[in-house]
Amino acid sequence: MSDVPVLEVSGLSVDYILDRGDVRAVDDVSFSVNRGEFLGIVGESGCGKSTLLFAVAQLLAPPASVVSGSVTFEGTNLIGLTDGQLSAIRWRDMSVVMQSAMNALNPVKTIGAQFKDVMRAHGRVPKVEIAARSAEVLRMVGIDPAHLRSYPHQLSGGMRQRSMIAMAMLFTPDLIIMDEPTSALDVVAQRSLMVQIKELQLALGFAVIFVTHDMSLISHFSDRLMVMYAGQVDELGATQRIFAAPQHPYTRGLLEAFPSIRGPRVPLKGIPGNPPDLAHVPAGCRFHPRCPHVAERCTEVAPDLFPIDEALVRCLRRQDGSLT
Amino acid sequence: MAAELPDAGLLRVEHLTRHFKIGGALSRRTLHAVDDVSFSIAGREIVALAGESGSGKSTIARLLARIYRPTAGEMFFEGKPLSQLKSRRDQLRYSGLVPMVFQDPFSSINPVFRVQHGVLRSLKLHRPSLSAAGRLDEAARVFEVVGLTPDMLERFPYELSGGQRQRVGFAQALAMRPKLILADEPVSMLDTSIRIGLLNLMAQLRDSEGVSVLYITHDIASARYVADKLIVMYAGQIAETGPIEDVLAHPRHPYTQLLLSAVPDPRAPLAVAAETDRGEPPKVIDPVPGCRFRWRCPLAIDTCEQVTPVLAELVPGHDVACHVAQTGAEVKAFSSGRGSS
Repeated sequence: MSDVPVLEVSGLSVDYILDRGDVRAVDDVSFSVNRGEFLGIVGESGCGKSTLLFAVAQLLAPPASVVSGSVTFEGTNLIGLTDGQLSAIRWRDMSVVMQSAMNALNPVKTIGAQFKDVMRAHGRVPKVEIAARSAEVLRMVGIDPAHLRSYPHQLSGGMRQRSMIAMAMLFTPDLIIMDEPTSALDVVAQRSLMVQIKELQLALGFAVIFVTHDMSLISHFSDRLMVMYAGQVDELGATQRIFAAPQHPYTRGLLEAFPSIRGPRVPLKGIPGNPPDLAHVPAGCRFHPRCPHVAERCTEVAPDLFPIDEALVRCLRRQDGSLT
Repeated sequence: MAAELPDAGLLRVEHLTRHFKIGGALSRRTLHAVDDVSFSIAGREIVALAGESGSGKSTIARLLARIYRPTAGEMFFEGKPLSQLKSRRDQLRYSGLVPMVFQDPFSSINPVFRVQHGVLRSLKLHRPSLSAAGRLDEAARVFEVVGLTPDMLERFPYELSGGQRQRVGFAQALAMRPKLILADEPVSMLDTSIRIGLLNLMAQLRDSEGVSVLYITHDIASARYVADKLIVMYAGQIAETGPIEDVLAHPRHPYTQLLLSAVPDPRAPLAVAAETDRGEPPKVIDPVPGCRFRWRCPLAIDTCEQVTPVLAELVPGHDVACHVAQTGAEVKAFSSGRGSS
């Protein structure tokens, strides 16, 4: 694993341009992903995590648009590239696994035909090789290649999600972006899919950006974790460190909101209130209305990301050391 | 068997079975969604019904809500069989005492009415003695019980967050003065930070309003947080049931062990290379005798191929449907990594 980043996102902001005014869904987000790294992005619904991911993959459609910042993938800034230029990168070097495999697969085409489409659209691959490669990637995710002739409805939810991942690996890309790929699955299927993704990643060396709302799911699989709240990064650091010692009150609240199946049964409080509407974000720290440690200046001063140990944290009281 | 518990309980289900006919006229097959299920729910008790999708847990909720009729078996509410509820008055009374809260708070509330509409309507239907002013007072009261402010009665569903909408669902149920709420995955669509609040609400309804809850979920950790009793379903049958702490501390059915091993727990040590099951729950179409878990079970013996295991009480109150466990052997099919605790 080298430290050359495969992806570098810098100062990225995305607005939804609406009649009632622009809504900033992603606000000045910067992060990088190293080769072979597993980066988890967590946040609640409406925190901008899916918008961020779409911006990285250059899949945003109006009314959403990138208003500032850059997305540098293997040395190329993706923002402003034409469809043709993007097409040369998509699937070959970077692929995306969507949230719902039920909707992302074409219901009237066999799995094999959809694999063939991808390989034809993004490279000149001889017919024999298409068949061989399709069978190979399907085998990698533990599905019998006989299912290349199956239609999506003939597969279970877990198998459909796995074949989406197989499709993303057709060209052995350097980066696979996954948007909640396991959210429609049961715990058991979820667990086995996560283990499989991790095994493939270790074997093939691609980097993963994994977006989820379920922090506990990626606790054992991601190298670094980025916690988003109201369009901003609240905390970014090594996964194990965040789980061991969460710095931001929001991160801590999220971790404490999970009941455990082990240890004593303790009453939990969750986080009071609701995530803010991005059209009306609170002044000062965006988390202050829900924060148990709120101080007066938190309502006025918007905190910056501040390095603490080896992590980045957006909290005024952490920054001045008044909260430990 | 579980059905022969001494206390009749609030609700008792005996040999409940629901089959669905599938396929066309030429290939008639039968899907066994629920097969010979017996359990009971006592007053002031939260019972968690857990299992993978397709295990029949939602079918049970729908049978109890009388959306489906059972193929066989009987359900008793306060000792009276549900099949005897013939008059509209009896049926209305039952649906008021046993209301349902649905999974999706975005589609289960009518978007064109203010949220008070559903509450007032069920009050009018189920508590006709209340005057119009009395109904409004009562609506305000239940809103406060579930942690909403009475002024939210005037709001439209789109003005509320997912968590608030789900509280409206509980308020609607509560307005009918229920004895048992059927909650089908009530928190699975909510954000993590909101979920705990709803789970706490269910516990509060039990403790201060004396309501029982059938909490249907695939999330064992949240079940443990609120429930008193756990029923684990697999492929339409009960695999294991008992007091929840007991079942989770000493799971005796291989499937329960598998389920527990799959729960992501950031507090547990990292174990990526744990034995991983890649099987899938079977579709129970025209089943043959034998244990339905045997294809995924590392401990399956010959008996499992031929005889369908029935629930047997291994420890007081803790029933397991597993041939291996019933021989008295210690079952260790999947490790949940709880050895350290």
